[in-house]
Amino acid sequence: MPELVVENIKKSFHGTAVLEDINFTVADGEFFTLLGPSGCGKSTTLSCVAGLETPDSGTIRVGDQVFFDGTPRNTVPPEGRNLGLVFQSYALWPHMTIADNLALPLKLRKVTKDEQRRLIDDALTKVDMAHLRDRYPHQLSGGQQQRVALARGIVYSPGVLLLDEPLSNLDAKMRDQARVWLKDLQREVGITTVYVTHDQVEAMSLSDRIAVFMHGRLQQVGTPTEIYETPATPEVAGFIGRCNLLEGRVGSTEGGTVQVKLGETGQHLRVVGACSAGSSATVGLRSERITLTDRADAPHDGAVNVLRARIEQCSYTGARFEYELSIGDLRVHAESPVRHTDGEINLIVRPDDCLLFPAQV
Amino acid sequence: MAIQTSPAPPAPSRTPRAGELGTPQYRRLFGAGREVTIHWLTFLVTAVLVLAPVVPILYQSVRNQPLYAAGGAFTLSNYAHLFTSAGFGSIVLDTLLFAVLTTVFALAIAVPMAILLERTRFPAARLFGQVLRWPIYISPLVLAFGWIVVYGPAGFLTSAVREGFGWVPWNLYSLPGMAFVEAVAQVPIAYLFCANALAASDTSLENAARSVGAGPLRVLRSVVVPMLRPPMLYAGLLIFGTAIETLSIPLILGEPAGITLFSNFLYEQGIDSINPDYGLLGAASTFMLLTTIALVVFQTRLLKHAQRFVSVRGKATRSDLLDIGAWKWLGFAFVGLYVVFGALLPMLALILRAFTSLLTPLVNPFDLLTLDNFRLIFDYAPYTESIVNSITVAFVGAVAVTLFGTVVVLVARRSDFRFARLLETTAQSPHAVPGLIVGIGLFWAFTWMPGGDAVRGTLFALIIAFGIRALPSAYGAISPATMQLGAELDNAARVAGADWWRTVSRIMLRLLVPAMLASFLLIWTQMIREYAPAMFLAGAESQVIGTTAIDLWTQGETGSVAALATLQIAVTAVVAGLAGLLLKGKKHA
Ligand SMILES: Nc1ncnc2c1ncn2[C@@H]1O[C@H](COP(=O)(O)OP(=O)(O)O)[C@@H](O)[C@H]1O
Ligand SMILES: [Mg+2]
Repeated sequence: MPELVVENIKKSFHGTAVLEDINFTVADGEFFTLLGPSGCGKSTTLSCVAGLETPDSGTIRVGDQVFFDGTPRNTVPPEGRNLGLVFQSYALWPHMTIADNLALPLKLRKVTKDEQRRLIDDALTKVDMAHLRDRYPHQLSGGQQQRVALARGIVYSPGVLLLDEPLSNLDAKMRDQARVWLKDLQREVGITTVYVTHDQVEAMSLSDRIAVFMHGRLQQVGTPTEIYETPATPEVAGFIGRCNLLEGRVGSTEGGTVQVKLGETGQHLRVVGACSAGSSATVGLRSERITLTDRADAPHDGAVNVLRARIEQCSYTGARFEYELSIGDLRVHAESPVRHTDGEINLIVRPDDCLLFPAQV
Repeated sequence: MAIQTSPAPPAPSRTPRAGELGTPQYRRLFGAGREVTIHWLTFLVTAVLVLAPVVPILYQSVRNQPLYAAGGAFTLSNYAHLFTSAGFGSIVLDTLLFAVLTTVFALAIAVPMAILLERTRFPAARLFGQVLRWPIYISPLVLAFGWIVVYGPAGFLTSAVREGFGWVPWNLYSLPGMAFVEAVAQVPIAYLFCANALAASDTSLENAARSVGAGPLRVLRSVVVPMLRPPMLYAGLLIFGTAIETLSIPLILGEPAGITLFSNFLYEQGIDSINPDYGLLGAASTFMLLTTIALVVFQTRLLKHAQRFVSVRGKATRSDLLDIGAWKWLGFAFVGLYVVFGALLPMLALILRAFTSLLTPLVNPFDLLTLDNFRLIFDYAPYTESIVNSITVAFVGAVAVTLFGTVVVLVARRSDFRFARLLETTAQSPHAVPGLIVGIGLFWAFTWMPGGDAVRGTLFALIIAFGIRALPSAYGAISPATMQLGAELDNAARVAGADWWRTVSRIMLRLLVPAMLASFLLIWTQMIREYAPAMFLAGAESQVIGTTAIDLWTQGETGSVAALATLQIAVTAVVAGLAGLLLKGKKHA
């Protein structure tokens, strides 16, 4: 199956822009995730791909087959796109048994009775639900319904599988299990998948690539590692993992690093990156990349940054201690396996662990 | 438009490659998906149905000749004629007075009852609440007959009171008398609006008032009554509108007393007069139509805010109910008197009258038992036929309107049809067209249109007329049910390969079966009682129960009218019972 291409999609509801210039390409067999806070337009994007919403402009195609290019005569209705879609609410048809739910798309495709039975068995076996084929949806638990919905989405071997927060109605523990078998299933079937979630852990653990959405715009598209290690914007850094964002002004630059003065604190950070002197910038510090030491143990070799901070709050979470610190008027969140009791503490930060974001002009 | 063609089926025992099964193929009509044709067809049929009675009336009102006659010309003299005709002023005034009195009476009865039954500790509150709804199933026509049997000049109680006191304090054949009977027919509406508002409202306000030391009566006055203003306003407008267009009571009670309201003015102009003045009738109909439309537009505006007062029933716990002490017994007397003398007695008397040759306090009715009243109906074929006609029209009509209404709802609510909103408004608009007007308008439409003469006077014409009137009810019964069905259900079917019509037939229609049954029952009870459009439209072979009853009434056959009414009540009750069982069965399945 060729790739799914989404180009320059725009969409507004009643004059309010919801999607602005969405561009991405999903390769054959790829697990591609749209990640972003709720209300940012992920479902709308998916609906546009499925044909349930019509974008204002842009192009959507699978290989050479155009689904949408802005003209009514080239707009393919949902039933002509041959996609699979699984909803957050599962949307199993309540008046049909599980088997009948799976049979409908096959019947519509005029698949023979025997072949239907074989394909239904096959799909239900993949999700471990074959034994419940004659039940009605309301007789199943949420987790079981979710598996059936997935089976219904793949039983007719659609070109692309679209999943809209399929795990978010499950409780936390089942969600973890479901994540594992979902990944296995997608590998086994090898189907091109577009997955929508607001949960960064789901996105990071499942995806080949992630598109981070915010306020109807794509912020960054990349592998989980790229998104985490080199976020394109402070918003992305803040959304993925726990990241402290500190405002500052660039002082001197030397040999691939820059010196950033942190607000009015009088302290500064040396950060790997490039930025013109005198401009303002944001520095991202990931909580788990900060080392805490007591005042007396501070290293002095200049290879790492040392910031002086005050402990405002310390909480014990079992695995580690979490700290709310203040550096002047800046707030920093940090973690440490060790309990520090003193009011004053040192933050050790390596220059190449800092994320530098020059201010947008 | 590029849809893949289905390739050959895959070899057995192999999972097809992604996309290999292709997409379903659908027949395309006029270069677009077939749903486009279905949407437009639904829209056009609805528009034609709604406009069919209205356009001829508007047209006739500005023509100086009957609309089918050649050589007519535009004129405004019909309106001049109408507004200057003798008695026009008093007719309008009497109609307004009748409507105002009806509204006041109905609210004065219904509102205290709603408060007593919903908000205070009241003996047998549930039973009374149920009994109060009964008049919904009985037509105002039947109710009027029942009241005459009991309270008319020669009525059972009237005679008894005259015998005992030598004087009777009421006169049914008067404007207040008419308004009171109409009010009894409308009490259930007002009661349901207020009771639902109270049941759905938050009792914490009341509890708060009580906790700061307000007594139960004080709570009623300052918290509960103000809460009822919106449903009272809305129910009041609804009743006012119904009172303006109703024909039964003005015809049965007003005519003998020489009181002419607007609806029996139309009736006299159109049917009673040997040589009807078409232009005048057109202008008068237009006048009535504009009045009811204005009322409905006003109601719709209000409903936007009042909708929450007809919402789902919440549950007030027993402890939230106010204890009004000894006042309770006064309230009990009020509700009891109304239920016994307003609703039960007239019905019982009517049924008893059906089985006796005479109903008078002077003779024990059980000495006068007879089946002659029924014999008269069953011995004369056209009378028997009218019962069969009513049942046929109601059954076929209820099935047809429910099916068509469901499609209309689905196009209006569950499609991307460009004029979905307009379709919804159009389907609901017959609500504003009085039955009499539908009758006159369709009569003219069939006269006007080529080949219409073959249809006019047939049962088919009646089904169309009654169906137009019932379409808003079907819409109202089915539309909320579609809102309960998540859009994902259709979206899932669309993505899985079903086009719009397949989605409707495979998914939506199946899920809407309970709502369609409810709609069928509602429309059936509405149509078995309906007769106003038939006054104009029905031919000799297509009379219905209502028209036959009026016919018998004018002949003075009170007993047979009672018998006919009894039959209508019996048929309604049987079908309501069956449908109730069916719906219950569905729920358990
Ligand atoms: N049918 C609609 N009409 C109006 N606004 C809508 C509609 N659907 C979505 N929106 C708005 O578009 C924005 C994006 O919605 P959505 O795509 O559902 O977000 P997400 O799936 O990322 O949570 C939201 O602000 C939502 O309110
Ligand atoms: Mg969403």
